[in-house]
Amino acid sequence: MLEIKDLEARVETEAGDGREILKGVTLSAPAGEVHAVMGPNGCGKSTLSYVLSGRDGYEITGGGATLAGEDLLAMDPEERAAAGVFLSFQYPVEIPGVPTLTFVKEALNAQKRARGEDEVSAPDFMKKAREAAAKLGISNEMLKRPVNVGFSGGEKKRMEIFQALMLEPKLLILDETDSGLDIDALKVVAEGVNALRSPDRTMLVITHYQRLLDYLKPDVVHVMAAGRIQKTGGPELAMELEKEGYDKYASGEAA
Amino acid sequence: MTAPVKLSDFETALVQALPAGDLRALLEERGLPHRRVEEWKWTDLRTVLARFPSAPGAVELDASRQPDAVAELEREPGLIMPRLAAALGGDCAVFELADGERLTLEFSGEAAGHRIVAVNVPAGVTATLHEIYRAEDGALANIAINIVLGEGATLTRVIEQREAPGAALVVTSGISLSAGATAKQTTLGFGAKLARLETHVAHAGHGAHLSMNGAYVLGPGLHLDQTSLVRHAGPDGTTEELFKGAAAKGGRGVFQGKIHVEKPAQKTDAQMQHRGLLLDECAEIDAKPELEIYADDVVCAHGNAFGAIDEDALFYMRQRGLPEATARALLTESFLADPIDRLEDEELREVLTVQLKSALEALI
Repeated sequence: MLEIKDLEARVETEAGDGREILKGVTLSAPAGEVHAVMGPNGCGKSTLSYVLSGRDGYEITGGGATLAGEDLLAMDPEERAAAGVFLSFQYPVEIPGVPTLTFVKEALNAQKRARGEDEVSAPDFMKKAREAAAKLGISNEMLKRPVNVGFSGGEKKRMEIFQALMLEPKLLILDETDSGLDIDALKVVAEGVNALRSPDRTMLVITHYQRLLDYLKPDVVHVMAAGRIQKTGGPELAMELEKEGYDKYASGEAA
Repeated sequence: MTAPVKLSDFETALVQALPAGDLRALLEERGLPHRRVEEWKWTDLRTVLARFPSAPGAVELDASRQPDAVAELEREPGLIMPRLAAALGGDCAVFELADGERLTLEFSGEAAGHRIVAVNVPAGVTATLHEIYRAEDGALANIAINIVLGEGATLTRVIEQREAPGAALVVTSGISLSAGATAKQTTLGFGAKLARLETHVAHAGHGAHLSMNGAYVLGPGLHLDQTSLVRHAGPDGTTEELFKGAAAKGGRGVFQGKIHVEKPAQKTDAQMQHRGLLLDECAEIDAKPELEIYADDVVCAHGNAFGAIDEDALFYMRQRGLPEATARALLTESFLADPIDRLEDEELREVLTVQLKSALEALI
């Protein structure tokens, strides 16, 4: 269960003057559900994903966020990862020189150590990796390549979902996962995400467009604008936004 | 004409150890190289050694086999440090490499010591030379090594410069590449109180190839200067250089690379790259890449860049659960890997990779 309550955050600029981005976000997403956060550009939805995952450069000025009762905002990014937070990046970062499988294994074992669990054995890890890769049509050769290096936009998103399948987070945040994907890539990624649906996992799908939601079928849709959740509803809300756009929420007064 | 310098006790002891002659006169007049000498502007040997004990010591050489000869030098070196090594380091141990041979030379310095070694790779021979340099606290290890490759010879040269926080180390290498010869050099350096690895390559061209690569990691208080001059004298020669290094707070790296292409050296292809990674504020890397070209039909380029750890990559890795220090070490390791990956000898590559990893784990 992800609970966000009255969350306020500002972005820190080099000049030292901050700007309010999140102005009191409240959202409750139980385990087992897929929640979409939709909103126009600049509404704060990517900021929300960075604040939840602990990126530097944001100052929390009010409110809080918990995952399964644990205070997320008090933790370092790696502690949040061990607590189950996984952010699928809008622009996955290339890490030359570090093979994908090596990286994922290091990450998985670091999380397990942090949780006081036993590390995964090499054969078990390989078995799991092969199964996850097969689901996503990822070749052995791709797994050996350095993290995200030399991949197309669609392949990078697939590799993000591969990592999520390996790390089995409690909270999966998909930040604009549909951006830069053609329709075939979108389907593959959506199938991967659907495979991650689980009664003990919350998914937060951050997106501008309805497109991805045709395949992911959210349980709940939140409309975000001007740094707040303006409206919460069922899947029909996404359809409405697709037809009518965000104009009526843009001022932040529709709520 | 400048007035003679006031010699330190260390320099006076050196002067007294030398026989009368130009070298002694030169040292008396100018002292050891220091920061006002252009080639040494970032490596102030004189000042560092002024605080070192002057009692004479030795550079021990532990070789994987006996030398083929111990002889007087045929030709005296031109620069002051190898001249001192020749004058005070005893007779020159000469190794003549056989085809397929791997020679290991381990040097260790105690107090003020000098040593001179020659390695010949006869025409057509393919061999490997593995050098390891260590020095104790308070030691000056001044070593000259002269390498000659005959026509069509191939030498893989691997240099490990082990961390020596209280020592000064100067290694001056001369490499002579005959027509059609190939020299592939890989250095892994961890610095010393002051360390300078200086390499001079006489490149004959005519199909000769030089690949000179290095990685370095410098922790607090460690200094490593890698200076090289490659002189292309004949046509159709190639040179590829890739140096990458990381310095932590209080560490200092120096890269001075020069490629000189003489007029007859047409069709020379020479590339030199240096990349520095500053791990903290108050880390320092100084670089001076230079091309001096007198031939008009050549392909030559150099590049030099500095950066810090990529914060986006760091956050990405931490988001996946890697502790910050592990992520930093992994990013630094991947940054430094290319020069070492160019080493074809798998066993030696592994030796260097393991050392690099453990140094980064200890540092970060």
